[in-house]
Amino acid sequence: MTREKVFETLNEVFRDVFDDESIAVEEETTADDIEDWDSLEHINLIAAVEQEFGIKFSMGQVVSMKNVGEMADIIMSQIED
Amino acid sequence: MPASFTSFYFLCFYALILLIYYLIPKKTQWVFLLFASAAFYLLTGEGILILYPAAASLIAYGTVRWMAGTEDVKKRRLALGMALLLLVGALVALKYVNFGINTINAVASLCGTQGKILNGFDFLVPLGISFYTFSILGYVIDVYNGIARPQGNFFKIALYGMYFPAILSGPILRYREDGEQFFEPHSFDYRQVTFGLQRMVWGFFKTLVISERMNLVVNTVYDNYAAWPGAYIWIATVCYAFQLYTNFSGSMDIVLGMSQTFGLRLPENFETPFFSKNISEYWRRWHISLGVWMKEYVFYPLLRTKAFMDLGKNLRKKWGKKRGKQLTTFLAMLILWFTVGIWHGGDWKFVIGSGLLHWFYIVSGELLAPFYKKCMERLSIDPKSKWLDVFRVLRTFFLVNIGFVFFRAASTTDAWHMLVSAVRVWNWGELLGGGIFALGLDVIESVIAVVSLVMLFIVSLLQQKGSVRERIEKKPVWVRFALWYALLFYIILLGHYGPDYSAAEFIYQGF
Repeated sequence: MTREKVFETLNEVFRDVFDDESIAVEEETTADDIEDWDSLEHINLIAAVEQEFGIKFSMGQVVSMKNVGEMADIIMSQIED
Repeated sequence: MPASFTSFYFLCFYALILLIYYLIPKKTQWVFLLFASAAFYLLTGEGILILYPAAASLIAYGTVRWMAGTEDVKKRRLALGMALLLLVGALVALKYVNFGINTINAVASLCGTQGKILNGFDFLVPLGISFYTFSILGYVIDVYNGIARPQGNFFKIALYGMYFPAILSGPILRYREDGEQFFEPHSFDYRQVTFGLQRMVWGFFKTLVISERMNLVVNTVYDNYAAWPGAYIWIATVCYAFQLYTNFSGSMDIVLGMSQTFGLRLPENFETPFFSKNISEYWRRWHISLGVWMKEYVFYPLLRTKAFMDLGKNLRKKWGKKRGKQLTTFLAMLILWFTVGIWHGGDWKFVIGSGLLHWFYIVSGELLAPFYKKCMERLSIDPKSKWLDVFRVLRTFFLVNIGFVFFRAASTTDAWHMLVSAVRVWNWGELLGGGIFALGLDVIESVIAVVSLVMLFIVSLLQQKGSVRERIEKKPVWVRFALWYALLFYIILLGHYGPDYSAAEFIYQGF
Protein backbone atom coordinates (compact mmCIF):
# COMPACT_ATOMS: atom_id res chain seq x y z
CA MET A 1 0.00 0.00 0.00
CA THR A 2 1.40 3.42 -0.90
CA ARG A 3 1.65 6.24 1.62
CA GLU A 4 -0.94 8.21 -0.34
CA LYS A 5 -3.34 5.30 -0.09
CA VAL A 6 -2.68 5.00 3.67
CA PHE A 7 -3.50 8.68 4.11
CA GLU A 8 -6.61 8.34 1.97
CA THR A 9 -7.88 5.51 4.16
CA LEU A 10 -6.87 7.33 7.35
CA ASN A 11 -8.87 10.31 6.20
CA GLU A 12 -11.98 8.18 5.88
CA VAL A 13 -11.44 6.68 9.34
CA PHE A 14 -10.93 10.13 10.91
CA ARG A 15 -14.07 11.51 9.24
CA ASP A 16 -16.05 8.53 10.45
CA VAL A 17 -14.74 8.61 14.07
CA PHE A 18 -15.08 12.36 14.55
CA ASP A 19 -18.24 12.58 12.47
CA ASP A 20 -16.86 15.47 10.47
CA GLU A 21 -16.68 15.36 6.67
CA SER A 22 -14.47 18.46 6.49
CA ILE A 23 -11.44 16.71 8.07
CA ALA A 24 -8.37 16.38 5.84
CA VAL A 25 -5.41 14.85 7.67
CA GLU A 26 -1.82 15.61 6.78
CA GLU A 27 1.61 14.45 7.97
CA GLU A 28 1.75 17.14 10.63
CA THR A 29 -1.84 16.91 11.86
CA THR A 30 -2.04 16.52 15.66
CA ALA A 31 -4.77 16.30 18.30
CA ASP A 32 -4.63 20.11 18.57
CA ASP A 33 -5.87 20.46 14.99
CA ILE A 34 -9.05 18.42 15.42
CA GLU A 35 -11.51 19.75 17.94
CA ASP A 36 -12.92 16.45 19.22
CA TRP A 37 -9.60 14.58 19.33
CA ASP A 38 -9.22 14.35 23.11
CA SER A 39 -7.86 11.55 25.26
CA LEU A 40 -11.18 9.69 25.14
CA GLU A 41 -11.52 9.80 21.37
CA HIS A 42 -7.86 8.92 20.94
CA ILE A 43 -8.50 5.34 22.04
CA ASN A 44 -11.59 5.07 19.84
CA LEU A 45 -9.59 6.40 16.92
CA ILE A 46 -6.79 3.91 17.54
CA ALA A 47 -9.27 1.03 17.64
CA ALA A 48 -10.90 2.20 14.39
CA VAL A 49 -7.54 2.53 12.60
CA GLU A 50 -6.49 -0.93 13.81
CA GLN A 51 -9.67 -2.46 12.53
CA GLU A 52 -9.46 -0.73 9.16
CA PHE A 53 -5.85 -1.75 8.46
CA GLY A 54 -5.94 -5.08 10.32
CA ILE A 55 -2.98 -4.09 12.48
CA LYS A 56 -2.25 -3.66 16.20
CA PHE A 57 -0.55 -0.69 17.84
CA SER A 58 1.52 -1.38 20.93
CA MET A 59 0.72 0.55 24.14
CA GLY A 60 4.00 2.43 23.71
CA GLN A 61 2.97 3.56 20.24
CA VAL A 62 -0.50 4.56 21.46
CA VAL A 63 0.89 6.99 24.02
CA SER A 64 3.94 8.25 22.16
CA MET A 65 2.85 8.90 18.56
CA LYS A 66 3.13 12.62 17.94
CA ASN A 67 1.16 13.20 14.74
CA VAL A 68 -0.68 11.49 11.89
CA GLY A 69 2.61 11.12 10.00
CA GLU A 70 3.99 8.91 12.77
CA MET A 71 0.76 6.94 12.78
CA ALA A 72 1.17 6.34 9.05
CA ASP A 73 4.82 5.25 9.57
CA ILE A 74 3.70 2.60 12.05
CA ILE A 75 0.90 1.44 9.78
CA MET A 76 3.27 1.20 6.76
CA SER A 77 5.85 -0.78 8.75
CA GLN A 78 3.24 -3.25 10.00
CA ILE A 79 1.64 -3.75 6.60
CA GLU A 80 5.05 -4.46 5.04
CA ASP A 81 5.67 -7.18 7.65
CA MET B 1 14.33 19.92 59.79
CA PRO B 2 10.56 20.17 59.10
CA ALA B 3 9.49 18.68 55.78
CA SER B 4 8.44 22.06 54.46
CA PHE B 5 9.92 24.20 51.70
CA THR B 6 9.05 27.36 53.60
CA SER B 7 10.94 26.45 56.76
CA PHE B 8 13.98 28.54 57.56
CA TYR B 9 16.20 25.45 57.93
CA PHE B 10 15.09 24.10 54.58
CA LEU B 11 15.98 27.38 52.87
CA CYS B 12 19.47 27.26 54.44
CA PHE B 13 19.79 23.63 53.33
CA TYR B 14 18.74 24.55 49.79
CA ALA B 15 21.09 27.55 49.58
CA LEU B 16 24.01 25.35 50.62
CA ILE B 17 23.10 22.64 48.09
CA LEU B 18 22.78 25.22 45.30
CA LEU B 19 26.17 26.73 46.11
CA ILE B 20 27.98 23.40 46.20
CA TYR B 21 26.12 22.16 43.09
CA TYR B 22 27.82 24.77 40.91
CA LEU B 23 31.23 24.55 42.59
CA ILE B 24 31.86 20.82 42.11
CA PRO B 25 32.86 19.16 38.80
CA LYS B 26 29.81 18.96 36.53
CA LYS B 27 30.11 15.21 36.10
CA THR B 28 29.48 14.72 39.81
CA GLN B 29 26.47 17.04 40.07
CA TRP B 30 23.92 14.23 39.87
CA VAL B 31 25.74 12.21 42.52
CA PHE B 32 25.66 15.26 44.75
CA LEU B 33 21.91 15.72 44.13
CA LEU B 34 21.37 12.08 45.11
CA PHE B 35 23.39 12.65 48.26
CA ALA B 36 21.37 15.81 49.02
CA SER B 37 18.10 13.97 48.38
CA ALA B 38 19.05 11.17 50.75
CA ALA B 39 20.13 13.73 53.37
CA PHE B 40 16.83 15.58 52.96
CA TYR B 41 14.84 12.37 53.43
CA LEU B 42 16.87 11.36 56.47
CA LEU B 43 16.60 14.80 58.07
CA THR B 44 12.90 15.43 57.55
CA GLY B 45 11.18 12.31 58.76
CA GLU B 46 11.75 8.92 60.27
CA GLY B 47 15.20 8.22 58.79
CA ILE B 48 14.70 4.49 58.50
CA LEU B 49 11.79 5.02 56.10
CA ILE B 50 14.29 5.94 53.40
CA LEU B 51 14.49 2.21 52.86
CA TYR B 52 11.10 2.34 51.13
CA PRO B 53 12.00 4.68 48.24
CA ALA B 54 15.41 3.00 48.07
CA ALA B 55 13.74 -0.41 47.77
CA ALA B 56 11.32 0.95 45.14
CA SER B 57 14.30 2.19 43.08
CA LEU B 58 16.00 -1.18 43.50
CA ILE B 59 12.88 -3.01 42.31
CA ALA B 60 12.73 -0.75 39.24
CA TYR B 61 16.44 -1.23 38.56
CA GLY B 62 16.24 -5.03 38.94
CA THR B 63 13.11 -5.63 36.89
CA VAL B 64 14.24 -3.25 34.14
CA ARG B 65 17.60 -5.03 33.89
CA TRP B 66 15.78 -8.29 33.60
CA MET B 67 13.53 -6.89 30.86
CA ALA B 68 16.42 -5.32 28.98
CA GLY B 69 18.35 -8.57 28.98
CA THR B 70 15.69 -10.65 27.23
CA GLU B 71 13.61 -10.61 24.07
CA ASP B 72 11.31 -13.27 25.48
CA VAL B 73 7.87 -11.66 25.80
CA LYS B 74 6.85 -13.97 28.64
CA LYS B 75 9.90 -13.08 30.72
CA ARG B 76 9.41 -9.38 30.06
CA ARG B 77 5.80 -9.65 31.13
CA LEU B 78 6.84 -11.54 34.27
CA ALA B 79 9.36 -8.81 35.14
CA LEU B 80 6.70 -6.13 34.68
CA GLY B 81 4.25 -8.16 36.76
CA MET B 82 6.75 -8.43 39.57
CA ALA B 83 7.45 -4.71 39.55
CA LEU B 84 3.72 -3.93 39.59
CA LEU B 85 3.08 -6.41 42.38
CA LEU B 86 5.86 -5.13 44.61
CA LEU B 87 5.47 -1.39 43.98
CA VAL B 88 1.67 -1.25 43.98
CA GLY B 89 1.64 -3.86 46.75
CA ALA B 90 3.70 -1.66 49.07
CA LEU B 91 1.51 1.37 48.28
CA VAL B 92 -1.72 -0.54 48.88
CA ALA B 93 -0.43 -2.22 52.04
CA LEU B 94 0.80 1.04 53.58
CA LYS B 95 -1.98 3.35 52.51
CA TYR B 96 -5.12 1.34 51.90
CA VAL B 97 -5.28 -1.67 54.19
CA ASN B 98 -6.85 0.45 56.93
CA PHE B 99 -9.31 1.89 54.41
CA GLY B 100 -10.48 -1.64 53.61
CA ILE B 101 -10.70 -2.53 57.29
CA ASN B 102 -12.63 0.64 58.16
CA THR B 103 -15.05 0.05 55.29
CA ILE B 104 -15.66 -3.55 56.42
CA ASN B 105 -16.24 -2.35 60.00
CA ALA B 106 -18.63 0.36 58.83
CA VAL B 107 -20.63 -2.09 56.72
CA ALA B 108 -20.70 -4.56 59.63
CA SER B 109 -21.96 -1.91 62.05
CA LEU B 110 -24.69 -0.96 59.55
CA CYS B 111 -25.71 -4.62 59.58
CA GLY B 112 -26.00 -4.48 63.36
CA THR B 113 -22.65 -5.85 64.54
CA GLN B 114 -21.41 -4.39 67.84
CA GLY B 115 -17.85 -3.09 67.96
CA LYS B 116 -15.17 -3.63 65.28
CA ILE B 117 -14.71 -6.96 63.58
CA LEU B 118 -11.22 -6.10 62.36
CA ASN B 119 -8.55 -3.94 63.94
CA GLY B 120 -6.59 -1.44 61.87
CA PHE B 121 -2.79 -1.37 61.55
CA ASP B 122 -0.53 1.37 62.73
CA PHE B 123 2.01 1.90 59.94
CA LEU B 124 4.58 4.60 59.50
CA VAL B 125 3.99 5.71 55.91
CA PRO B 126 7.10 6.97 54.09
CA LEU B 127 6.98 10.57 52.85
CA GLY B 128 5.90 11.01 49.27
CA ILE B 129 5.07 7.33 48.66
CA SER B 130 2.21 8.11 46.25
CA PHE B 131 4.47 10.38 44.21
CA TYR B 132 7.66 8.36 43.97
CA THR B 133 5.75 5.10 43.42
CA PHE B 134 3.97 6.58 40.40
CA SER B 135 7.13 8.15 38.93
CA ILE B 136 9.02 4.87 39.25
CA LEU B 137 6.13 2.70 38.09
CA GLY B 138 5.71 4.84 34.97
CA TYR B 139 9.39 4.33 34.15
CA VAL B 140 9.18 0.52 34.42
CA ILE B 141 6.01 0.39 32.28
CA ASP B 142 7.58 2.67 29.65
CA VAL B 143 10.63 0.42 29.41
CA TYR B 144 8.31 -2.58 29.03
CA ASN B 145 6.45 -0.73 26.26
CA GLY B 146 9.74 0.10 24.57
CA ILE B 147 9.45 3.89 24.83
CA ALA B 148 11.92 4.57 27.65
CA ARG B 149 15.61 3.72 27.58
CA PRO B 150 16.55 1.24 30.32
CA GLN B 151 18.88 2.87 32.86
CA GLY B 152 21.75 0.59 33.83
CA ASN B 153 22.89 2.56 36.87
CA PHE B 154 20.98 1.93 40.10
CA PHE B 155 22.04 5.24 41.65
CA LYS B 156 20.65 7.18 38.70
CA ILE B 157 17.25 5.53 39.15
CA ALA B 158 17.48 6.27 42.86
CA LEU B 159 18.00 9.98 42.09
CA TYR B 160 15.07 9.98 39.65
CA GLY B 161 12.85 8.39 42.31
CA MET B 162 14.08 10.40 45.30
CA TYR B 163 14.96 13.84 43.86
CA PHE B 164 14.31 15.95 46.95
CA PRO B 165 12.28 18.88 45.61
CA ALA B 166 9.76 16.57 43.92
CA ILE B 167 9.47 13.70 46.38
CA LEU B 168 7.14 15.42 48.85
CA SER B 169 4.37 16.66 46.61
CA GLY B 170 5.31 15.96 42.99
CA PRO B 171 5.06 16.65 40.16
CA ILE B 172 4.90 12.99 39.16
CA LEU B 173 7.80 12.61 36.74
CA ARG B 174 8.06 10.74 33.46
CA TYR B 175 11.45 9.17 32.95
CA ARG B 176 11.22 9.16 29.17
CA GLU B 177 10.83 12.93 29.18
CA ASP B 178 12.30 14.19 32.46
CA GLY B 179 14.77 11.46 33.47
CA GLU B 180 17.97 11.87 31.49
CA GLN B 181 18.44 15.60 32.22
CA PHE B 182 19.27 14.78 35.86
CA PHE B 183 22.54 13.13 34.81
CA GLU B 184 23.71 15.73 32.30
CA PRO B 185 26.25 18.40 33.31
CA HIS B 186 24.69 21.78 34.14
CA SER B 187 26.69 25.00 33.89
CA PHE B 188 25.73 28.01 35.97
CA ASP B 189 23.28 30.07 33.91
CA TYR B 190 22.49 33.41 35.52
CA ARG B 191 19.17 33.80 33.71
CA GLN B 192 17.93 30.31 34.61
CA VAL B 193 18.95 30.70 38.25
CA THR B 194 17.28 34.11 38.63
CA PHE B 195 14.16 32.89 36.81
CA GLY B 196 14.05 29.91 39.15
CA LEU B 197 14.46 32.09 42.24
CA GLN B 198 11.77 34.48 41.01
CA ARG B 199 9.38 31.58 40.55
CA MET B 200 10.15 30.40 44.08
CA VAL B 201 9.34 33.89 45.41
CA TRP B 202 5.98 33.73 43.63
CA GLY B 203 5.40 30.33 45.24
CA PHE B 204 6.15 31.77 48.68
CA PHE B 205 3.69 34.58 47.98
CA LYS B 206 0.96 32.05 47.17
CA THR B 207 1.61 29.83 50.17
CA LEU B 208 2.66 32.25 52.92
CA VAL B 209 0.50 35.25 52.11
CA ILE B 210 -2.66 33.71 50.64
CA SER B 211 -2.87 30.04 51.61
CA GLU B 212 -1.98 30.60 55.25
CA ARG B 213 -4.64 33.29 55.60
CA MET B 214 -7.31 31.17 53.95
CA ASN B 215 -6.28 28.35 56.28
CA LEU B 216 -7.45 30.36 59.33
CA VAL B 217 -10.96 30.88 57.96
CA VAL B 218 -11.24 27.29 56.73
CA ASN B 219 -10.17 25.81 60.07
CA THR B 220 -12.57 27.99 62.06
CA VAL B 221 -15.57 26.82 60.09
CA TYR B 222 -14.62 23.25 59.20
CA ASP B 223 -13.46 22.32 62.69
CA ASN B 224 -16.76 23.46 64.20
CA TYR B 225 -19.29 23.62 61.39
CA ALA B 226 -22.29 23.33 63.71
CA ALA B 227 -21.46 26.79 65.05
CA TRP B 228 -20.95 28.28 61.58
CA PRO B 229 -23.90 27.29 59.40
CA GLY B 230 -25.21 28.42 56.00
CA ALA B 231 -23.33 31.27 54.37
CA TYR B 232 -20.25 30.66 56.54
CA ILE B 233 -19.88 27.23 54.96
CA TRP B 234 -19.99 28.72 51.46
CA ILE B 235 -17.39 31.33 52.36
CA ALA B 236 -15.12 28.80 54.08
CA THR B 237 -15.39 26.42 51.13
CA VAL B 238 -14.45 29.10 48.60
CA CYS B 239 -11.56 30.01 50.91
CA TYR B 240 -10.57 26.35 50.93
CA ALA B 241 -10.57 26.25 47.14
CA PHE B 242 -8.10 29.14 47.15
CA GLN B 243 -6.14 27.67 50.05
CA LEU B 244 -5.69 24.33 48.30
CA TYR B 245 -4.88 25.93 44.96
CA THR B 246 -2.36 28.44 46.32
CA ASN B 247 -0.85 25.84 48.63
CA PHE B 248 -0.44 23.13 46.00
CA SER B 249 0.36 25.30 42.98
CA GLY B 250 2.56 27.50 45.21
CA SER B 251 4.56 24.47 46.30
CA MET B 252 4.85 23.52 42.62
CA ASP B 253 6.21 26.99 41.84
CA ILE B 254 8.82 26.40 44.55
CA VAL B 255 9.65 22.88 43.28
CA LEU B 256 9.83 23.90 39.62
CA GLY B 257 11.67 27.12 40.41
CA MET B 258 14.17 25.29 42.60
CA SER B 259 14.69 22.72 39.86
CA GLN B 260 15.23 25.50 37.34
CA THR B 261 18.05 26.83 39.52
CA PHE B 262 19.65 23.37 39.17
CA GLY B 263 19.16 23.56 35.40
CA LEU B 264 16.34 20.99 35.49
CA ARG B 265 12.99 21.35 33.78
CA LEU B 266 10.12 19.53 35.50
CA PRO B 267 6.61 19.14 34.06
CA GLU B 268 4.02 21.80 34.93
CA ASN B 269 1.27 20.69 37.29
CA PHE B 270 -1.16 23.62 37.03
CA GLU B 271 -2.49 25.84 34.31
CA THR B 272 -4.85 28.32 36.03
CA PRO B 273 -7.45 25.57 36.65
CA PHE B 274 -10.15 27.86 38.03
CA PHE B 275 -10.50 29.42 34.58
CA SER B 276 -11.77 26.08 33.20
CA LYS B 277 -15.10 26.08 31.41
CA ASN B 278 -16.02 22.49 32.23
CA ILE B 279 -14.96 19.65 34.53
CA SER B 280 -12.95 17.74 31.90
CA GLU B 281 -10.98 20.88 31.13
CA TYR B 282 -10.49 21.48 34.85
CA TRP B 283 -8.77 18.11 35.19
CA ARG B 284 -6.50 18.91 32.26
CA ARG B 285 -5.38 22.02 34.17
CA TRP B 286 -5.35 20.85 37.82
CA HIS B 287 -2.68 18.39 39.00
CA ILE B 288 -1.76 17.78 35.37
CA SER B 289 0.97 15.21 36.04
CA LEU B 290 -1.50 12.98 37.91
CA GLY B 291 -4.04 13.29 35.08
CA VAL B 292 -1.45 12.40 32.45
CA TRP B 293 -0.24 9.45 34.53
CA MET B 294 -3.75 8.12 35.05
CA LYS B 295 -4.53 8.49 31.35
CA GLU B 296 -1.42 6.66 30.18
CA TYR B 297 -1.15 3.94 32.79
CA VAL B 298 -4.75 3.30 33.90
CA PHE B 299 -7.29 4.61 31.42
CA TYR B 300 -5.71 3.64 28.07
CA PRO B 301 -4.52 0.18 29.15
CA LEU B 302 -7.97 -0.48 30.64
CA LEU B 303 -9.78 0.47 27.43
CA ARG B 304 -7.33 -1.68 25.43
CA THR B 305 -7.96 -4.85 27.44
CA LYS B 306 -9.78 -7.61 25.60
CA ALA B 307 -12.63 -7.50 28.10
CA PHE B 308 -13.27 -3.81 27.43
CA MET B 309 -12.86 -4.15 23.65
CA ASP B 310 -15.40 -7.00 23.62
CA LEU B 311 -17.74 -5.08 25.90
CA GLY B 312 -17.47 -2.10 23.54
CA LYS B 313 -18.38 -4.29 20.55
CA ASN B 314 -21.38 -5.79 22.34
CA LEU B 315 -22.65 -2.45 23.58
CA ARG B 316 -22.30 -0.93 20.12
CA LYS B 317 -24.31 -3.80 18.65
CA LYS B 318 -27.02 -3.36 21.25
CA TRP B 319 -27.19 0.42 21.64
CA GLY B 320 -25.86 1.69 18.35
CA LYS B 321 -22.45 3.14 17.53
CA LYS B 322 -22.58 6.38 19.46
CA ARG B 323 -24.37 5.25 22.60
CA GLY B 324 -22.36 2.01 22.79
CA LYS B 325 -19.08 3.92 22.58
CA GLN B 326 -20.29 6.30 25.27
CA LEU B 327 -21.31 3.53 27.68
CA THR B 328 -17.94 1.79 27.40
CA THR B 329 -16.10 5.03 28.10
CA PHE B 330 -18.34 5.85 31.06
CA LEU B 331 -17.57 2.50 32.62
CA ALA B 332 -13.82 2.88 32.11
CA MET B 333 -14.08 6.41 33.49
CA LEU B 334 -15.82 5.10 36.59
CA ILE B 335 -12.78 2.92 37.34
CA LEU B 336 -10.45 5.80 36.46
CA TRP B 337 -12.19 8.28 38.78
CA PHE B 338 -12.34 5.78 41.60
CA THR B 339 -8.56 5.39 41.23
CA VAL B 340 -7.99 9.16 41.11
CA GLY B 341 -10.10 9.57 44.25
CA ILE B 342 -8.47 6.80 46.23
CA TRP B 343 -4.99 7.96 45.20
CA HIS B 344 -5.61 10.97 47.45
CA GLY B 345 -6.10 8.76 50.46
CA GLY B 346 -7.87 5.73 51.84
CA ASP B 347 -11.12 7.42 52.80
CA TRP B 348 -14.52 7.65 51.11
CA LYS B 349 -14.42 11.44 51.39
CA PHE B 350 -11.53 11.44 48.88
CA VAL B 351 -13.11 8.75 46.71
CA ILE B 352 -16.24 10.90 46.45
CA GLY B 353 -14.79 14.44 46.62
CA SER B 354 -12.04 14.09 44.03
CA GLY B 355 -13.25 10.97 42.28
CA LEU B 356 -16.78 9.74 41.83
CA LEU B 357 -18.42 13.16 42.09
CA HIS B 358 -16.31 14.36 39.16
CA TRP B 359 -17.21 11.23 37.22
CA PHE B 360 -20.86 12.06 37.83
CA TYR B 361 -20.33 15.64 36.61
CA ILE B 362 -18.66 14.52 33.40
CA VAL B 363 -21.12 11.74 32.61
CA SER B 364 -24.21 13.83 33.34
CA GLY B 365 -22.70 16.70 31.36
CA GLU B 366 -22.25 14.44 28.32
CA LEU B 367 -25.70 12.89 28.62
CA LEU B 368 -27.41 16.26 29.03
CA ALA B 369 -25.41 18.00 26.29
CA PRO B 370 -28.17 17.63 23.63
CA PHE B 371 -30.73 18.98 26.13
CA TYR B 372 -28.57 22.02 26.94
CA LYS B 373 -28.10 22.62 23.23
CA LYS B 374 -31.85 22.63 22.64
CA CYS B 375 -32.41 24.95 25.61
CA MET B 376 -29.88 27.43 24.27
CA GLU B 377 -31.47 27.32 20.81
CA ARG B 378 -34.92 27.94 22.32
CA LEU B 379 -33.64 30.85 24.40
CA SER B 380 -31.57 32.04 21.39
CA ILE B 381 -28.34 32.14 23.39
CA ASP B 382 -25.19 32.33 21.31
CA PRO B 383 -23.02 29.32 22.40
CA LYS B 384 -19.90 31.37 21.65
CA SER B 385 -20.92 34.34 23.77
CA LYS B 386 -18.32 35.68 26.21
CA TRP B 387 -20.94 35.95 28.96
CA LEU B 388 -21.79 32.31 28.54
CA ASP B 389 -18.09 31.49 29.00
CA VAL B 390 -18.06 33.51 32.23
CA PHE B 391 -21.11 31.57 33.37
CA ARG B 392 -19.38 28.28 32.47
CA VAL B 393 -16.27 29.23 34.45
CA LEU B 394 -18.35 30.14 37.52
CA ARG B 395 -20.45 26.98 37.20
CA THR B 396 -17.33 24.79 36.99
CA PHE B 397 -15.84 26.55 40.02
CA PHE B 398 -19.07 25.94 41.94
CA LEU B 399 -19.14 22.24 41.06
CA VAL B 400 -15.49 21.82 42.03
CA ASN B 401 -16.23 23.48 45.37
CA ILE B 402 -18.87 20.86 46.20
CA GLY B 403 -16.10 18.28 45.79
CA PHE B 404 -13.84 20.34 48.06
CA VAL B 405 -16.42 20.13 50.88
CA PHE B 406 -15.91 16.35 50.90
CA PHE B 407 -12.17 16.72 50.43
CA ARG B 408 -11.72 19.02 53.43
CA ALA B 409 -14.43 17.84 55.84
CA ALA B 410 -13.37 15.42 58.56
CA SER B 411 -15.57 12.66 57.12
CA THR B 412 -18.16 11.96 54.43
CA THR B 413 -20.93 12.32 57.01
CA ASP B 414 -19.62 15.73 58.11
CA ALA B 415 -19.43 16.83 54.47
CA TRP B 416 -23.05 15.85 53.96
CA HIS B 417 -24.19 17.73 57.08
CA MET B 418 -22.26 20.79 55.93
CA LEU B 419 -23.85 20.73 52.47
CA VAL B 420 -27.31 20.40 54.00
CA SER B 421 -26.61 23.32 56.33
CA ALA B 422 -25.19 25.39 53.46
CA VAL B 423 -28.44 24.99 51.53
CA ARG B 424 -30.92 25.21 54.39
CA VAL B 425 -29.62 28.07 56.50
CA TRP B 426 -29.94 31.56 55.02
CA ASN B 427 -27.77 33.90 57.10
CA TRP B 428 -26.01 36.06 54.52
CA GLY B 429 -27.23 39.18 56.34
CA GLU B 430 -25.44 38.13 59.51
CA LEU B 431 -22.28 37.20 57.59
CA LEU B 432 -22.14 40.45 55.61
CA GLY B 433 -23.14 42.45 58.69
CA GLY B 434 -19.75 41.70 60.24
CA GLY B 435 -19.86 37.97 60.97
CA ILE B 436 -17.30 37.40 58.26
CA PHE B 437 -14.62 39.13 60.35
CA ALA B 438 -15.07 36.66 63.20
CA LEU B 439 -13.66 33.75 61.22
CA GLY B 440 -10.00 34.41 61.97
CA LEU B 441 -9.25 37.38 59.71
CA ASP B 442 -10.13 40.85 61.03
CA VAL B 443 -10.86 43.79 58.71
CA ILE B 444 -7.21 44.60 57.91
CA GLU B 445 -6.27 40.94 57.47
CA SER B 446 -9.27 40.44 55.20
CA VAL B 447 -8.24 43.43 53.09
CA ILE B 448 -4.72 41.97 52.74
CA ALA B 449 -6.23 38.63 51.73
CA VAL B 450 -8.49 40.20 49.11
CA VAL B 451 -5.74 42.43 47.69
CA SER B 452 -3.44 39.41 47.44
CA LEU B 453 -6.13 37.35 45.72
CA VAL B 454 -6.66 40.21 43.26
CA MET B 455 -2.90 40.23 42.58
CA LEU B 456 -3.04 36.48 41.96
CA PHE B 457 -6.03 36.95 39.66
CA ILE B 458 -4.30 39.66 37.60
CA VAL B 459 -1.10 37.63 37.25
CA SER B 460 -3.16 34.56 36.30
CA LEU B 461 -4.91 36.59 33.60
CA LEU B 462 -1.56 37.84 32.31
CA GLN B 463 -0.26 34.24 32.27
CA GLN B 464 -2.91 33.38 29.68
CA LYS B 465 -0.82 35.41 27.23
CA GLY B 466 2.56 33.86 28.05
CA SER B 467 5.29 34.03 30.67
CA VAL B 468 4.97 36.95 33.08
CA ARG B 469 8.62 36.59 34.17
CA GLU B 470 9.77 37.04 30.57
CA ARG B 471 7.68 40.18 30.21
CA ILE B 472 9.10 41.62 33.43
CA GLU B 473 12.59 40.77 32.16
CA LYS B 474 12.10 43.16 29.24
CA LYS B 475 11.33 46.09 31.51
CA PRO B 476 14.03 48.60 32.51
CA VAL B 477 16.28 47.47 35.31
CA TRP B 478 14.77 49.75 37.99
CA VAL B 479 11.24 48.51 37.23
CA ARG B 480 12.40 44.89 37.50
CA PHE B 481 14.14 45.41 40.80
CA ALA B 482 11.29 47.49 42.20
CA LEU B 483 8.77 44.77 41.26
CA TRP B 484 10.67 41.80 42.67
CA TYR B 485 11.80 43.58 45.82
CA ALA B 486 8.29 44.89 46.44
CA LEU B 487 6.97 41.33 46.18
CA LEU B 488 9.71 40.03 48.44
CA PHE B 489 9.01 42.66 51.11
CA TYR B 490 5.30 42.09 50.74
CA ILE B 491 5.89 38.41 51.59
CA ILE B 492 8.29 39.15 54.43
CA LEU B 493 5.94 41.72 55.97
CA LEU B 494 2.62 40.05 55.32
CA GLY B 495 3.44 36.35 55.12
CA HIS B 496 1.93 34.21 57.82
CA TYR B 497 4.51 32.08 59.49
CA GLY B 498 3.85 29.27 61.90
CA PRO B 499 5.45 28.91 65.36
CA ASP B 500 8.90 27.98 64.08
CA TYR B 501 8.84 30.29 61.06
CA SER B 502 7.41 27.61 58.86
CA ALA B 503 4.11 27.40 57.07
CA ALA B 504 1.50 24.76 57.76
CA GLU B 505 2.32 21.51 56.02
CA PHE B 506 1.84 21.40 52.31
CA ILE B 507 -1.54 19.78 51.96
CA TYR B 508 -0.51 17.46 49.16
CA GLN B 509 2.36 16.13 51.22
CA GLY B 510 -0.21 13.98 53.02
CA PHE B 511 -0.63 11.93 49.88
